[in-house]
Amino acid sequence: MDDITTQFEECLRRHLRSAKPNPINYDVELVQLGLDSMTAVAVLMDMEKTFGIRFPDDMLVEGTFRTAGRLKEAVQLLRERQAS
Amino acid sequence: MTRSLPDQSLGPEWTILELLARGIIDDSEVQMVRDLLTTDTLKWGELLEQALRHKMFPMLAHQIMSASLRFDVPTNIYMHLESALEWNRWQIEVFRRETVRVAQALADRGIPFVVTKGMAFESTLYDSLGTRYMNDIDFMITPRDRDKVMTVMQELGFRPFFDWAKDARREEISSRLNPDHLPKLAREIDQPGIRLIDIDIANSLTWTKSPFDVPVEEALENPVEQPIPGMSGVSIPCFRPIYQFLFTVLHLFREAWLQKFVESGTDVGLMKFGDVIRLIDRNQNKLTDSELLRIMQTHGVTDAVAWVLRHMDETFHTHAVELLALEKHGNEKLLRSQMRSPGYVNAWSESMRGRLQSKSRGSVQPVAPAHRGS
Repeated sequence: MDDITTQFEECLRRHLRSAKPNPINYDVELVQLGLDSMTAVAVLMDMEKTFGIRFPDDMLVEGTFRTAGRLKEAVQLLRERQAS
Repeated sequence: MTRSLPDQSLGPEWTILELLARGIIDDSEVQMVRDLLTTDTLKWGELLEQALRHKMFPMLAHQIMSASLRFDVPTNIYMHLESALEWNRWQIEVFRRETVRVAQALADRGIPFVVTKGMAFESTLYDSLGTRYMNDIDFMITPRDRDKVMTVMQELGFRPFFDWAKDARREEISSRLNPDHLPKLAREIDQPGIRLIDIDIANSLTWTKSPFDVPVEEALENPVEQPIPGMSGVSIPCFRPIYQFLFTVLHLFREAWLQKFVESGTDVGLMKFGDVIRLIDRNQNKLTDSELLRIMQTHGVTDAVAWVLRHMDETFHTHAVELLALEKHGNEKLLRSQMRSPGYVNAWSESMRGRLQSKSRGSVQPVAPAHRGS
């Protein structure tokens, strides 16, 4: 599977103002980078479009995008599921 | 509530709708509406468009029919209004039967709930005249019953439905992430002129993570049974008046204060204020009791309620703030604000009256940068 880091980070930066100038810390809560309930929807939709995935209902919960690390794992998992 | 006649600076069309929204209560208002409807300068296109935007088409139709203005209104418009009113009455009848069907199923499983908004108000605030438009049926449950209720609704033939939204996927994700409502549910039916029945089930009086809320479990205690017109011996549970008032006001606050509703074109309309005015008119004794103030203070919603009532008083010349003794509540900063997204509040300088009349509300820009606040 390709490394998705660049596309993933570009996607986050498009929506999270505080993530723009700095390297993304994958352990920090996304709320601290400016994520709120509206931008969360926008981020998830952008991830779906960018990576051609669809978040199933059971992944549409806060835990999925609490940190960039958690979100990236979810995206990778869905890409792998789709590829198999 | 006593109120002065509205000024006519926004034109006769708007004045008619303001008068109808707040309710015609005396002869001077009856005469004013009659005079405005028969004035030579009345623009019917504008009146009908605004009546549609504010879900007042059946109410306008009823006013014209009951004032015997058959020969003062252009014939084709009169005929269309007449059939719109009849269709609305038919839809209400269909909705009543569906409400009872769902209510029965929830009650059979011992799930606490109430019926809210249009279906609850149609008979109590609008005298079962078929003038209150509703596009869905609304229920309120507790968050812990979400899964049980979803199961019941699926057994009744309802399915989650997002096609009503401009961006269905956005709406679907948003409804999963903000669980203050179940996803909107719909069922296909085979009735003349009505293809789908939509049901909206909320489990919060406001919204997910709202700084202003009243616990839904508390609000659902001791509901009142409300008879269903035309169905002998059948009733539905509704909020008791204090919580009916709080829910209606806080729901209006949600749609008016959260900018996302402005952007999606689904924010507050005249009839939402009309509901509040009628609730106060018909439950004055219960609402002026100290219990309401105590509940508002306990849950920290007094400023949100004052926000709504102050805008309402400014717009409709009512005296709700004084009547409910809220003069010392609500602050100017909150009154002139709107929430962009959780934690971020924009200053907002427009008048509510201007906003209600505007046909391009989505383009309204904040007057100051967003600041962190509650």
